[in-house]
Amino acid sequence: MLTQPYLEDYKHDISSGRKNYIYLTLVMAITDFKMKYDNSALGYLWSLVKPLLMFGTLYLVFSVFMRWNVENYKLHLLLGIILWNFLAEVTLNSMVLLEGKASIIKKINFPRWIVVIASSLTSLLTLFLNIVIFFLFFIFSAPPFHTSALLLGLYLIELYFLSVGIALLLCALYPKFRDIHHLWEVFVQLGFWVTPIIYPISIVPQKYHTFIFLNPMARVIQGSRQAIIGPPGDFTGFTSHVLIISVAAVLFLAGLTLFNKLSPSFAEDL
Amino acid sequence: MITIEQVNKVFRLPHDKKTTLKQRFVNVFQKNTYERFYALRDINLNVKQGEFVGIIGKNGSGKSTLLKIMASVLKPTSGSVSIKANVAPFLELGVGFQADSTVKDNIFLYGALLGMSRKQITAKYDWIINFSGLEKFVDAKLKNLSSGMQVRLGFSITVIVNSPILLVDEVFAVGDIDFQQKCYDSFMNFKKNGRTIVFVSHDLNTIENFCDRAILLKEGSVSAEGHPKDVVTAYTNS
Repeated sequence: MLTQPYLEDYKHDISSGRKNYIYLTLVMAITDFKMKYDNSALGYLWSLVKPLLMFGTLYLVFSVFMRWNVENYKLHLLLGIILWNFLAEVTLNSMVLLEGKASIIKKINFPRWIVVIASSLTSLLTLFLNIVIFFLFFIFSAPPFHTSALLLGLYLIELYFLSVGIALLLCALYPKFRDIHHLWEVFVQLGFWVTPIIYPISIVPQKYHTFIFLNPMARVIQGSRQAIIGPPGDFTGFTSHVLIISVAAVLFLAGLTLFNKLSPSFAEDL
Repeated sequence: MITIEQVNKVFRLPHDKKTTLKQRFVNVFQKNTYERFYALRDINLNVKQGEFVGIIGKNGSGKSTLLKIMASVLKPTSGSVSIKANVAPFLELGVGFQADSTVKDNIFLYGALLGMSRKQITAKYDWIINFSGLEKFVDAKLKNLSSGMQVRLGFSITVIVNSPILLVDEVFAVGDIDFQQKCYDSFMNFKKNGRTIVFVSHDLNTIENFCDRAILLKEGSVSAEGHPKDVVTAYTNS
């Protein structure tokens, strides 16, 4: 019979068990990432090709057929799509992955938020790769580089917490109300059009600006554009960050609270 | 090791399930009616360290629910459960693997879910593959394995994780003779190591051979408890 190595390190394992949440989160993220692109010929490349194809289509329509009079429109559009896609992906995927993990959740007691964080990490990797591609475009179009571009880091952190906060809220409700997935899909579409992603903010009548910029995503996108591509504007300013951060913090804390409250019954509802 | 006091688990069985918004809106004035179904009723149980406890009973008598409560996957509706050690997630058919991932990835994911670190899993990886006899299938998708192979894999990982308590839900039914022998050998080993096992089985011989104590569940309540022979007799006569 095979010898069983647990004899000698029996004690050791017990003390260290259950503290490896970080490792669990990473393994889960890697497994999700592998599964997502598993049966496709281009594999991981899809995570890069997808936003580029979307960009190509929109660019064709809005730059060749219709013409916005915006300097570096290409860069504005690409950055907007990349940032918006991250929010859309994190929020929508987390529900899909929660459903996919039902068989594990029904059997193993582990903190459920790990599913949401793992799914967000997968999207985060895609986001970073996309940002690299954006900078390749940036170098080729050669607008002057401003040091304010470093603000992008702050915007990405804000974007991350905003997205994960929403994802936690949605996932908390999802097992009891499945329609929240469909509802949110529509909402993401709506959000894509009320956020200045493909159109310049200048075409929107001034009186609506206040409403448009109540949306923290509009501020994240417009602000990072002003910081990186220019021309500089007031969306990189202090008030804008305060607004984004407070919305993100409220959503994140609300999401976490609701999630912790409802997740103990996930094993029954999923 | 495990103390369960006055545990009740009630599932709500809706007469007409409303999970979509439309159904809720349309029936907003109609009261949501449901039955209260007692999956477990007034369970008191005390499992000591190193004890092997077998749970038997008909389908739907609450065996798996009880295991899930011990594994803290389900919360009891009332009553208290206290567990003084790490519990390995219970083992059963399709233990909670990802069907679309490879055997290798599943070992790492499952190991991590059991609270192991990368180092610990890597150290035990070869042993797991070897014990489960899946050397040829390391890169195969889990969904392409037979149900017996899946149980073997689950069992191998659960054996190697060093939780003092092991909950096992009907795994002997699918393994072949060789693997069953391996399982029995492991069980003997657990006994020597003072690990505690609670296991559910319809295989009455296994219960009689291995358990120190058996519990018969009937409609969510304990209807007999004691020496495995007596309890099995009570079960077969009922």
